[in-house]
Amino acid sequence: MDYKFPDNLKYTSTHEWVKIDDEEAIVGITDYAQYQLGDIVFVELPDIGMVFEKGSNAGEIESVKAVGDFIMPLSGEVIEINENLADAPELVNASPYGEGWMIKIKINHDDEFKDLLNVEQYKELVEKEDH
Amino acid sequence: MSEENLNFKKTPLYETHVKLGARMVDFAGFKMPVQYESIIKEHEAVRTTAGVFDISHMGEFLLEGKDVIPFLQYIMINDLNLLEPSKGQYSIMCYENGTVVDDLVYYEESPERFRMIVNAGNIQKDLEWLTSHIGNHDVKITNLSDKRARLAFQGLKADEMLQPLLNVDLSNVKRFYFANCELNNKSIFLARTGYTGEKGVEISFESRFAEEVWHNLLETGASPAGLGARDSLRLEACYSLYGHEISDSITAIEAGLSWLAKPKEGIDYIGKEVLMKQKSQGTDRNIVGLNLLDKGIIRENYRIFKDNNQIGYVTSGGYSPTLKKTIGLGLVKKELSEVGTEIEIEVRNKLLKGKIVSTPFYRNV
Repeated sequence: MDYKFPDNLKYTSTHEWVKIDDEEAIVGITDYAQYQLGDIVFVELPDIGMVFEKGSNAGEIESVKAVGDFIMPLSGEVIEINENLADAPELVNASPYGEGWMIKIKINHDDEFKDLLNVEQYKELVEKEDH
Repeated sequence: MSEENLNFKKTPLYETHVKLGARMVDFAGFKMPVQYESIIKEHEAVRTTAGVFDISHMGEFLLEGKDVIPFLQYIMINDLNLLEPSKGQYSIMCYENGTVVDDLVYYEESPERFRMIVNAGNIQKDLEWLTSHIGNHDVKITNLSDKRARLAFQGLKADEMLQPLLNVDLSNVKRFYFANCELNNKSIFLARTGYTGEKGVEISFESRFAEEVWHNLLETGASPAGLGARDSLRLEACYSLYGHEISDSITAIEAGLSWLAKPKEGIDYIGKEVLMKQKSQGTDRNIVGLNLLDKGIIRENYRIFKDNNQIGYVTSGGYSPTLKKTIGLGLVKKELSEVGTEIEIEVRNKLLKGKIVSTPFYRNV
């Protein structure tokens, strides 16, 4: 499969992507994650203002066949959510890095960045999983 | 190499599915296509035009002999007196306690020759069950499952799309009847049955023609459709799935298949006593239709509650691409199984609002 993994993003081993912009970060799931889930029919996102630790479960993504957790890639407070996903969860399939973004967070700990994967590391991980 | 690749069966179309980019999953010992591009698109193709399903994993038996009819009357809960040559019948084989060995369709080619299609996961169990009950009956059972391929061609426009390939007039083959005919000059068994709630056929033929017939069917413009769409289509149409709505721990009456359990005056059959009793007195639990009122998706084995007491569980659940909402079937206590009853379903540690509704959700046949 030819998955798209933009160079300018950071990734997690649980298949989220992170776009860091100073103290804020936009988060979504990767092209590989959306493909593995298949047709996404329901996305449950956290409420604005909720604070999560890195690695905690912040939402759910349900496809026709499967359910996946949405895992926080960094600790932080939810400052915005993609409201469009309530009525159009298929945006995550169609545009995982664009219109299918999930949440925007205010980052707490800068030192967590180093645990995120760069695009090469993430590609390697996907290659291993997607045999 | 991963360990999962070592021990699975392939249908004659395995390589074809892989070439089409299908996502292959384990199902009943086979590697089967769950989807090609998108379950929802394949589902919608069937509801608007047509889809082609590889169902070669299913079992196919030939039953021959003078006593096939009395033998089946003893094993099956449906009544073979309602059958005639060129017609098929949906039925169930039960254990003595009324729970289900398998659900299946058999077709009467002649009073001494029946073709039977059974669930993939139950092939060996069914063969053993049938064989162990032959006794003194003159019945020979041949397992054709590996020698033949089976495809389903189903959809709103299935008949008109398929007709040019056939040497029979489909409008003359009524629902549940069958014909031995030709598709592009190849001999096929064609039955007017299906598992999608749409018109169409299920066909069986020698497996060496599998790829050719598959491509002929796709050339009509039909979409290849995988097990994912097969499941979402059958759930909308509320057709029971073995291991879900029917099993060796759910009786045919509990499953809402009371209409199949015939009185068959003067004929004894396995399970009759329990089934007739449950049919007249009712059962403690029933399969019902479910709608989720809150947002979310319900899935198999999720628990169903009323006033904080568990009253049952979801047997099948999911998103309905046709109705664009969450639907399901569940086994619940009789006294709370009325249509309109408000219930709650536990979805990933949260109780969501739902309702018991009438079924089927969608059927076009």
